[in-house]
Amino acid sequence: MHIAEGFLPPAHAVAWGVASAPFVVHGVRSLTREVREHPESTLLLGASGAFTFVLSALKLPSVTGSCSHPTGTGLGAILFRPPIMAVLGTITLLFQALLLAHGGLTTLGANVFSMAIVGPWAGYAIYKLLRRYDVPLMVAVFFGAFFADLSTYCVTSVQLALAFPDPSSGFLGALGKFGSIFAVTQIPLAVSEGLLTVLVMRLLVQSSKGELTRLGVLLTKKQSATETEAVAR
Amino acid sequence: MLPIDAAAHSSRWRRRHPVDKAVLGLGLTVLAISLPPWPGAALVLVTALTVLLGPAGVPARRLWRAYRVPLGFCVTGALTLLVQVGGPEGFVSLAEDGGLRAGELLLRTSAASLGVLLFAFTTPMSDLLPRLVKAGIPAPVVDVALVTYRMSFLLLDSVRHIREAQAARLGHTNRAAEWRSLAGLGATAFVRAFDRATRLQAGLAGRGYDGTLRVLVPEARVSVRFTAASCALLAALAALTLVLERALP
Repeated sequence: MHIAEGFLPPAHAVAWGVASAPFVVHGVRSLTREVREHPESTLLLGASGAFTFVLSALKLPSVTGSCSHPTGTGLGAILFRPPIMAVLGTITLLFQALLLAHGGLTTLGANVFSMAIVGPWAGYAIYKLLRRYDVPLMVAVFFGAFFADLSTYCVTSVQLALAFPDPSSGFLGALGKFGSIFAVTQIPLAVSEGLLTVLVMRLLVQSSKGELTRLGVLLTKKQSATETEAVAR
Repeated sequence: MLPIDAAAHSSRWRRRHPVDKAVLGLGLTVLAISLPPWPGAALVLVTALTVLLGPAGVPARRLWRAYRVPLGFCVTGALTLLVQVGGPEGFVSLAEDGGLRAGELLLRTSAASLGVLLFAFTTPMSDLLPRLVKAGIPAPVVDVALVTYRMSFLLLDSVRHIREAQAARLGHTNRAAEWRSLAGLGATAFVRAFDRATRLQAGLAGRGYDGTLRVLVPEARVSVRFTAASCALLAALAALTLVLERALP
């Protein structure tokens, strides 16, 4: 769920924009360096952005029976790494605001912070941690996508609670209020997104080994041997 | 093409420079969130609606279809302000000024959304993106955004066809089949995106691709008259709000 246009007071909108800026600038630098070194990456990154945009347009059946859409942040972070996802996520959120009236321009900073920064970084950190301890790929992918989705909504709850503290119990009361609303819908959705991401990854491992190796998700035999050697040392 | 972008391509203001429309549309959005919701956001809402349906010539039905999406989010979000947690009246109770806060939020968000819709309904992405380089966005980022924009339509079209094919093969008859179909859809979208990127790369390499995508941008100049009139309108709205705020109860 994106924070709608005009939902945040001006000071909050600016503050979240400022908080997001260093991550997006870092992502832009990574992307610019990548494109300058490998011009052909422009098309691959554009395709990745389009894939992220389309992924967020897929309807996801929820465990509770309702319907929502995946955030795509977990899968995106595992495939393309969080710094690149900060830029691709920002582009996707801009397109969603202008082409689908979903989200907004004044709330772009807040939405970028939750969906293109915290979500990908949290999901990627969990995924990498689990992979380091030799947890099977699909289990790591599930938890990566699950935590990416859940952390996105936790941050959105914090953003809303800061903007609209409860008249009686203040920030904590509002956090409980927004958090409990999201918990009912988002925990089942996070489970659903985790399962969907595993299914997508299983198909990709079967059909697109080359692309996954190129993106560093699957290791080549040489990389795998080097890694085993390093662990053994 | 998505409905808002399709409408932007056939808009009356299509030939105007994006800066003209940004000053007016995004200026209204900024006013909506900066001025007091009553009467400020209400005035912005009426003005944006008048400009959209009048001079900008956006069909009312198209506008409603696009507007109801953010409006739904605004209503859902505003409802949470009606209740409070804790306090003497119980764990969850009606907030004393919840109705007022919810109403103000609804006014602010609906007015701000109309300002952005005014810009989106009159400015195609293909006019906006190439000009972002002049605004200081690095060219490689703009190139990636351009490829993303153009490839999104192809992918959305592919996804629609795949979904139809899955439905024709009873791919949505039960929950298990629906999950399988959805996973297939996501994976196929990924494979197609990468396949298109590889083919585009091969095609561009044959045409001497050096890393920059050169696209034709329709020529347009910033209209001083239009921009000045927009600024005057925004200033008048701000002044009227301040006057009415004192006069109204």
